[in-house]
Amino acid sequence: MKYIKMRAITVLAVILAIAACTKDLDTVPLDKDVITSASVYEDFDSYKMVLAKLYAGLSLSGQTGPHGNNDLSGLDEGFGQYLRGYWYAQELPTDECIIAWNDLTLKDYHEQDWTSSDPFIANLYYRLFYQIALCNEFIRESADSKLDERGMNATQKEEIAEYRAEARFLRALSYGHALDLFGNVPFVTEEDKVGSFFPQQIMRADLFDYVESELLAIETELPVPMTNEYARADQAAAWMVLAKLYLNAEVYIGTPKYTETITYAKKVIDAGYTLDTEWENLFLADNHTADGIIFPIAFDGVHTKTWGGTTFIINSAVGGSMNPEDFGISGGWAGIRVTKELVGKFINLETLKKKGDLPGRKAYPVLYVPGSYQGWDPSDATTVVASVNDDGKYEGYLWFPDADAQFKFSNAPDWDHSIFGDVDASGTTGTLTKPGNNIVAGAAGYYKVNVDTVALTYTIEKTDWGLIGDATGSWDVDQDMTYDAVEGVWELIVELGTGSIKFRANNDWVINYGDAEPDGILDTESDNNIAISEAGKYEIKIKLGSPDYTYTIEQFSSDGRIMFYSDGQSLEIDDVFEFTEGWAVTKFKNITSTGAPGSDQTHPDTDFPMFRLADAYLMYAEAVLRGGTGGDAATALTYVNMLRERAYGDANGNITADDLDLDFILDERAREFLWEAHRRTDLVRFGRFSNTTYTWAWKGGSKEGQSVESFYDLYPIPASDVAANLNLEQNDGYY
Amino acid sequence: MKQNRVIRKLFFLILVCFIPMYVMGQEIVVSGKVTDVEDGIGIPGVNIVVKGTTMGTTTDLDGNFSLTVSRDATLVFSFIGYTAQEIAVNNQSIINVSMVLDIQALEEVVTIGYGTARKQDATGSVTAISTDDFNRGAIFSPQELVAGKIAGVQITNSGGAPGAGATIRIRGGSSLSASNDPLIVIDGVPVDNDGISGMRNPLSTIHPNDIQTFTILKDASATAIYGSRASNGVIIIETKKGKKDLPFKINYDANFSFGVITDYHDVLSTDQFREVILEQFGSNPNATNLLGEANTDWQKEIYQTAVSTDHNLSFTGSAMSIPYRVSIGYTDQKGILKTSGLDRYTGALSLNPSFLDDHLKVNVNVKGMRIKNQFANQGAVGAAADFDPTQPVKDPDSPYGGYFTWVDAFGNPIFTATSNPVAMLNMRDDQSTVLRSIGNLMLDYQVHWLPELKAKLNLGYDISSSEGTVDVPKNAAWAYDNIYGGGQKTEYTQGKKNELLDFYFNYVKDLGTVDSRIDATAGYSWQHFFREGTNYTTNVIGTVVDDDSDYKTESYLVSFFGRVNYVFKDRYLVTFTLREDGSSRFSPDNRWGLFPSVAVAWDIGDESFINPDLFSVLKLRVGWGITGQQNISNNDYPYLPRYTASEDNAQYQFGSTFYTTLRPEGYDANLKWEETTTYNIGLDFGLLKNRFTGALDYYYRVTDDLINFIPVPAGTNLTNQILTNVGDLYNTGVEFTINAKAISRTDMYWEVGFNATYNKNEITKLTLYEDPTYIGVPAGGISGGVGNTIQIHTVGYPKNSFFVYQQVYDESGDPIEGLYVDRNGDGIISEDDRYRYKKADPDVYLGFSSFFQYKNFDFSFNGRANIGNYVYNNQYSSNGTYSGLYNSAGSLSNSTTSLLDSKFQNPRYHTDFYMENGSFLRMDNMTLGYNFKNLLSGTLGLRIYASVQNVFVITKYQGLDPEVSSGVDNNIYPRPRTFLFGLRLEY
Repeated sequence: MKYIKMRAITVLAVILAIAACTKDLDTVPLDKDVITSASVYEDFDSYKMVLAKLYAGLSLSGQTGPHGNNDLSGLDEGFGQYLRGYWYAQELPTDECIIAWNDLTLKDYHEQDWTSSDPFIANLYYRLFYQIALCNEFIRESADSKLDERGMNATQKEEIAEYRAEARFLRALSYGHALDLFGNVPFVTEEDKVGSFFPQQIMRADLFDYVESELLAIETELPVPMTNEYARADQAAAWMVLAKLYLNAEVYIGTPKYTETITYAKKVIDAGYTLDTEWENLFLADNHTADGIIFPIAFDGVHTKTWGGTTFIINSAVGGSMNPEDFGISGGWAGIRVTKELVGKFINLETLKKKGDLPGRKAYPVLYVPGSYQGWDPSDATTVVASVNDDGKYEGYLWFPDADAQFKFSNAPDWDHSIFGDVDASGTTGTLTKPGNNIVAGAAGYYKVNVDTVALTYTIEKTDWGLIGDATGSWDVDQDMTYDAVEGVWELIVELGTGSIKFRANNDWVINYGDAEPDGILDTESDNNIAISEAGKYEIKIKLGSPDYTYTIEQFSSDGRIMFYSDGQSLEIDDVFEFTEGWAVTKFKNITSTGAPGSDQTHPDTDFPMFRLADAYLMYAEAVLRGGTGGDAATALTYVNMLRERAYGDANGNITADDLDLDFILDERAREFLWEAHRRTDLVRFGRFSNTTYTWAWKGGSKEGQSVESFYDLYPIPASDVAANLNLEQNDGYY
Repeated sequence: MKQNRVIRKLFFLILVCFIPMYVMGQEIVVSGKVTDVEDGIGIPGVNIVVKGTTMGTTTDLDGNFSLTVSRDATLVFSFIGYTAQEIAVNNQSIINVSMVLDIQALEEVVTIGYGTARKQDATGSVTAISTDDFNRGAIFSPQELVAGKIAGVQITNSGGAPGAGATIRIRGGSSLSASNDPLIVIDGVPVDNDGISGMRNPLSTIHPNDIQTFTILKDASATAIYGSRASNGVIIIETKKGKKDLPFKINYDANFSFGVITDYHDVLSTDQFREVILEQFGSNPNATNLLGEANTDWQKEIYQTAVSTDHNLSFTGSAMSIPYRVSIGYTDQKGILKTSGLDRYTGALSLNPSFLDDHLKVNVNVKGMRIKNQFANQGAVGAAADFDPTQPVKDPDSPYGGYFTWVDAFGNPIFTATSNPVAMLNMRDDQSTVLRSIGNLMLDYQVHWLPELKAKLNLGYDISSSEGTVDVPKNAAWAYDNIYGGGQKTEYTQGKKNELLDFYFNYVKDLGTVDSRIDATAGYSWQHFFREGTNYTTNVIGTVVDDDSDYKTESYLVSFFGRVNYVFKDRYLVTFTLREDGSSRFSPDNRWGLFPSVAVAWDIGDESFINPDLFSVLKLRVGWGITGQQNISNNDYPYLPRYTASEDNAQYQFGSTFYTTLRPEGYDANLKWEETTTYNIGLDFGLLKNRFTGALDYYYRVTDDLINFIPVPAGTNLTNQILTNVGDLYNTGVEFTINAKAISRTDMYWEVGFNATYNKNEITKLTLYEDPTYIGVPAGGISGGVGNTIQIHTVGYPKNSFFVYQQVYDESGDPIEGLYVDRNGDGIISEDDRYRYKKADPDVYLGFSSFFQYKNFDFSFNGRANIGNYVYNNQYSSNGTYSGLYNSAGSLSNSTTSLLDSKFQNPRYHTDFYMENGSFLRMDNMTLGYNFKNLLSGTLGLRIYASVQNVFVITKYQGLDPEVSSGVDNNIYPRPRTFLFGLRLEY
């Protein structure tokens, strides 16, 4: 009896224990960073945080910055960030950019020979649809009916409705990218549930209608321009997407919609935005304070860190002899430069004479010149004299900023080898001994220094440089040049006629240089006048500090948008993977408008200006030129000249009505929007992307550039999605 | 200091234990020999206890013993498998004993899930290896004890780092994306096999000396009782325990070892390097000016001779009639890569009291461990092969710790240049301390009113906590930041807590009337897994926060299980098992999985038509069963729609406020168990009175509903790739084991063992619908470029097949750079010309061992061989091109000598030129030992031995080591050759 009772109790206890334990299986996440969908939308504050994710979808790659907890899997997280992927697709296959990295198939972008299994294209594609899926989820969850179920009050519902309109804007933006890049794509909306199904493929024209209808629908639901918080979309942002859609309608649907382009560009222009007076400020670390940015993608060195976005753009633009500190970063990634053809949009390449195309500095024997003027550092390779013929006779130019400059010569970058100084304590006799006394220059200035280590003699002579020749108007009177101690060059901006020029020192022919070959290296040969074949205003520089004395003559332009770095960079690109081939670009920086560095040395504070007022001006002008109604040519010219005047700082760059044609618009867009991710779309619209109308270095995989087949105007649907989705058909030309 | 204190305590403890020996009078030295009554051969290891005391000894290898006892004492002789005898001393100084086999006791017992089985009753593929058969000279990690011993089990150490983990694969692994690790059960507690940050090897919680048996359950009949976690096999580890009536015994093991590197990566010598640079870049002074004057062998700079010691002390006996075993161990292990090492303390306590007239048996096991790790920056291995040999290690002018560093024109480090490998080691302090304890309390109650029934309650835990720090000074070149401070300071923690409750009944009944026996088990198991962790990384001065993350997560597993083993006429056996598992990782709809198995066996050897002199054992086993897998990518909620908040460095700006974002996660609400169905046919045999024993098994394992990480149709889910149940694969193979006692004489004994496994693996389905054009899922990430992979899972091919271009060679046999065979014949070389070439897994793997004893000497060795495993030499492919020699940012890099063969200008990662046959034969261990006899009248056993680990490897592979379980050879910590001297004292 006792046993039976015990048994009964035991059995009962076991059953109860088991029942209790199976309940344990109904767990919910413990991590405070993880919330279930069931509870997240109960909290009003969550809506804004989810909205923030939708925007961050353009800016960040995951929930940990700069990487970790990636949104997507597969390719490297840095490469997979939205803006970086979009930027690659819009810039790398164009004249605006060439990249020095040999990662995977990255070079296929330049060569325009990508395939449907290209991982970068796939990554961009999945990013777009990830963004669309995020927006769908939010639109679904923020439906009024659901808000009612959750008991949101009227104020809250109103606020959330505005978020929902922004989510629809962001979805339209990404569908806009999808239709521009890929054409016919899978179509999913908030009507579809999360899960396993095969979305239908929507035709490009139908997607055009959908994006248009979405933007028109939310036009009034979005806040009026400039009333929303910074970095959030307003009506003007939607108008910009619409204007762009209409401008490219001929490409997308075969029907021009330039009148609509003008309508929506005008809406933006009339909304009250102003052009920032300083164009440069639009691309700096504090560009959130710059005027004229309609929709930015925000980044921050502390709070919004990524390996894509402006981190990529700024870090990879720096290499060669560029000083990373000038860009507010700790070191460049030596990746992106521009092609020669793009430089030609700014500078007349015919009149450009330049040493930069030579291989790097020659390795001549040198004497080091440690001295008080440079901190007595014998290892400083920038203060040397060189023996071009390796005969013990050394020559070079040195800049002594102070009157009491003293120095010695050393045949090695240290104090342990042969040191030469003056035999006399005065330091001025011109005779050398080892180690001798300090040589004394006597006055500040730019000195020509000659040393003969065989005869043990030296001379130093102070020089001031000028330009002379009939192109300057006279073979008798020098045009004085000025010394730029930072760059180490003598420079002069001057009006020249056709004729010849030479450089000479101290208003005298004792020291003078020309260029006989001409090869960009100054020489003292006979008949070495330098010809100027076209009259105009020129910027002329000579650099005598290096063993090879070099010069540049560029037709002067005061276009402030010329932001190239050419020191040590060649214009020609023989090797795509050599950063120093192709000019570098200094446009984007992690430095504020007051010169202070950003808050982090790798991840810039600089926001990416996705839509700017200037774009509305140029879209207006282009639509007018293409025959749209509702605008006029005079206004178009005014808009274009507003941009020109800002760029030049005065009216010198202004153009006339005759100058304003479509070719001008395309080139002006290159000048105004270099590296702002518009170029591929622009070239396709002008019919110059794939075909022979326009080629540039390495287009089609050859150095001179060659045309490729027109199906490359669209990217392929990634093979992995064609495999995963039964309903998809590949774009023409791809398999 | 602390170490000294521990040793002092030990010494004191030993002294105390010795004291009782000297307080006895009227003593006599008794010696004699214990022999088997049948063949007269001495029996080693017989326990001899003075009745009523804990005093005693054991016989030596020849069966001799000697013991000082009181003249009127009674000696109890006992040995497993023999009937115990009591003999009164009665002033005799020589007592010879003949022992009789105890038929009942001969029933060898094997550990199976939730209990034990008589070996003769086992119907599944179960292999048990116990102390006597362990690899000798295995010192640091438990898995070394059985490496190469068991057919179908492949153990690959993940490298030569101190405390390195191992990849264990049983019958090839049945999953793609889910874990392929076997379930490891230590003293009844399934332990966490996912690793603990700061502790690479989950098994290193136990000192190898504390292990009694390793039991490997391979086929479904054996494993199905573990249900959803059993697809990749089960390893059951039993630790040594105290036993009733055993004399007090002290064991002390110590060894001293030194490890040396066996080989270096073949890189260009300084002269070759200089020559190649001048030849390639002679016209580019930017490159040639970078050449230095030094002659540095960077690989020699980073390695050292690794001196290590290990001590283990254990006591067994009975106190107040509670049998106990206590063991403590200390390991001080240095790595051959400078700055790596670990310091490990282990302790184990086992108490086995019985109550209620032996009706209630209690078994308490507590094991604990503390490891202090010093991790080396393993990147130095690759960097040393890369670094320009013309540069010096030190540069007195360098602001970066005085180490030579590649700098740009402004003196800033070049980030794209290789870091100085010696600086990488010396300027990074990476430490962790890990505490872990595994323990259980087992109550085994034999029901008073029904003695055939036992109720068992097992409460277990596995708790660990780790804390680590990484410090990099701000002048380290790779962490340099002149504005915000640079350097790195990381603090991380991790805690894990797994709890277990098993409750089950076991009913064993001999039904003599119908010549049957039933052994049934049924019960319930509950497990809770919890883990949490933090990570906080800043620059040295703490101003820039790079990472501030934490997590906390848990899961539960609730199970019901049962097993019936029915034996008829002691020859015909059948076993059914059934387990139902519920996992919190799946939605309520898919939560429960049912895992059945059935197996039959026929003990042919017992049939009358079999000549027992020829076949001492002959048993045929046939089994079928289903097991599951649910160990998925560290995600405890893959089915649940959920949102993840962003870290503070991944916020988004609205206005002037930065908002934490909430991300909806992709999920598959229908995710469920992966199921593996196993068919197994096996034959166990023993020939000529078990002079030859062995087994032959054939298996076929199909995994359905593979938990697979695949691309989703774009736009349909909140991610691009998701874990879902798609795909099937199978493994099939044959295993063969044979052990032979070649010589078995009084003074000479020789036993050899050999096993071979053939395994074939093929993926049969990967997509939801049939798609012959689907190329497969890329796998096998490699170093070089970004995001490159070299392997692929494709239908119709083995998993992790290499996916490469077929290299074209010129007439002289040199590869033509960038030219591949147009395999699809479409006239262009595109990605479609890649082909699937070989795989990382071997076709056949072999293990062999030998133990030879002559008088007091013994000599043993064991080794392994893999045949048909291929290796992608990533060391060569990522570092063997002319373009890699010079970085236009201003640095030079050395190259592997592969450059001289390939003459490749640019990296060609995907050519089959870099594929190599990795077949090898490795001698893991050779040991020579000497056993002293008759020390202290035979009461003291002393063995000294010398051993070499990783003796040699025979292979055609050109890289450092062909044994790479992933098949991608890159930056692996080289396995050292270790010379070891040890002694074992037994008192």
